[in-house]
Amino acid sequence: MLTVPVEIFRFKPGQAQRYDTFTVEIAETAHVIDVIDTVWAKHDPTLTFRRACHHSSCGSCAVRINGAEKLPCIVRLTDVWNGRNPIRIEPLRNFPVVSDLLVEVGDFFERMSAASMTITCEAEGFLPLTVDTFAVAGVLPKTVELPDNLSRFNRFEQCIECGICMSACPTMATDNKFIGPAGLAAIYQARHKTDDPTRVKHLLGLADGEHGVWRCHSAFECTEACPQAVDPASKIMALRRELALRRLRKMFGLRI
Amino acid sequence: MIERGEVAFGTTGRNHCLLHSGGRYCVTDQESAIECIDENLILRRIMPDLLELNDGLFVAVTESDLAFKERFLEGCAACHIPAHEVTVARALAMEPFLNPTILAAIQIPDGVFEPFRFCLSFLATALKNGATVRTFTEVTDFVCSDRNPTGVKIRDFRTGKTETIGGDIIVNAAGPWAGEIAAKAGVSVPEVPTAGVMVALDCRLNNMVLNRLNKPSDGDIVVPQRATSVIGTTSWKVEDPDLITIPPEHVERMISQGEKLIPTVRRVPMRAKMAVARPLIAMTGTDARELSRTFECFDHARDGVNGFVTITGGKTTTARAMAERVSDIVCQKLNHKAECRTREVPLTSYRFFFERQNVLKRRALAQLQTSDRPNIGFEERT
Repeated sequence: MLTVPVEIFRFKPGQAQRYDTFTVEIAETAHVIDVIDTVWAKHDPTLTFRRACHHSSCGSCAVRINGAEKLPCIVRLTDVWNGRNPIRIEPLRNFPVVSDLLVEVGDFFERMSAASMTITCEAEGFLPLTVDTFAVAGVLPKTVELPDNLSRFNRFEQCIECGICMSACPTMATDNKFIGPAGLAAIYQARHKTDDPTRVKHLLGLADGEHGVWRCHSAFECTEACPQAVDPASKIMALRRELALRRLRKMFGLRI
Repeated sequence: MIERGEVAFGTTGRNHCLLHSGGRYCVTDQESAIECIDENLILRRIMPDLLELNDGLFVAVTESDLAFKERFLEGCAACHIPAHEVTVARALAMEPFLNPTILAAIQIPDGVFEPFRFCLSFLATALKNGATVRTFTEVTDFVCSDRNPTGVKIRDFRTGKTETIGGDIIVNAAGPWAGEIAAKAGVSVPEVPTAGVMVALDCRLNNMVLNRLNKPSDGDIVVPQRATSVIGTTSWKVEDPDLITIPPEHVERMISQGEKLIPTVRRVPMRAKMAVARPLIAMTGTDARELSRTFECFDHARDGVNGFVTITGGKTTTARAMAERVSDIVCQKLNHKAECRTREVPLTSYRFFFERQNVLKRRALAQLQTSDRPNIGFEERT
């Protein structure tokens, strides 16, 4: 067991913001979500935070741990605690704080709806999915066959709508109407799922708008922070390339 | 609806994500198996965009598993679960990481959901139809007339405010905390909070849900979801569902049992581990693993307390059926004649849950001084 100090951002409407320090007794193998759960269960039940799946599938628990955006359910305690200083846990940036670690996500979900993000997609014809599995575990991808009654395997999209990219994005701090990395990545996905010209025009129009891809400062913080390897920055760059190419073709009177 | 944390903050949020076909229970717990397949078919209709529908395989790893095959197929037939045997070669082509020494494989219509969005969709639909949902709000006590509850005292953790709300009938749907809530109303619920450990791997090693072809036991199922495979689960009784300490040997048991289905399991790093308590219904002298996964509705008029109903037990797969059962009982008690329509009505997008809150909050926020709110802007970055 370890004795771990943890410093948590606190705020309730009408009160000044502050940091409360708790000392928790916890197993060395714990994840940071277990630390937050322990503070709530043993020290202060008024602490408000989101959590659900505890395995990085729901995206609800995203916070900042020692200043960096993370999903505490997949961050090991020993990876963020130096054995002395308190672990600092704060809410995501660029979202209004409702209470403690809880942020208002309505705007964010409205953007994801506008970007037409679907939850399921067609699966690749191979397993495993993670690119570095060979480097870490020596596991090579293998091709799969479909069962007779299925026309395709499907699976949930990589993006879990956790809001981490929105918090890490420097552009969000200068333009709070910026669609944001998750939304733009969703537009890219939706655009590549359709050949319908009207739909493509609508999606590219969104990306090309005042708060779209051209607002991005190319800091690539979103890709760095994303816990699901969505790589929003490269998708923003791909949308820019497509939009630029379309303009060039239009300029020279070529078919788009 | 009053919920102590965010939606899916409790047991449902941390379940195994398995849309049961009922195969898991078709020999040992047929009542539960029938509930599962019926709901499986309904959920495919009302939330088709929120499910991974890749079916599942029950595979025989040992001779004892193989001996179970006939009973399993008979159980599936008795519970109207579509099941058919596929050859071992075909199973290995579909699931290349599956143990190559398996002896038999049976395909059944298992699926996978994502618990947070599963719950949000139901609540978004309820909101759209006029419900009020109060999250981060705890029931602190009951208001009673004689012994009969007529309302609840609540506390909102976001604001610290307390208030009392009245109700013609109060439904206790607190999962493994149902006993705690019932005690506040002076009655008891025969419930056993029973925890289980799950281990999520750092990559996805299967497309279909993989089960051991045998009676349910520890570590006999690997549920794939998104980019991970989740091995589960164990079963032990707990006193306090708020904080469950994961026994390290349970994690090792998941790996050692899981590698019987997928040998690669041990080579892949662990992404996360979690445990949560199931709200199982108590039966005298029964081991936690053997308790039925069915659900029950208790009208506490039987305890001399009117206007208070508890719904407990069950599984996430059967959550809609549980709501239907308790709604029917509430309607009956209120002499209200209405058909439950949740079997047919497609669910609203889960995002509406937050978008709706957003619209309401925008109105409320416009009346607040913006200076009251903390600034967590980019300039704070260290």
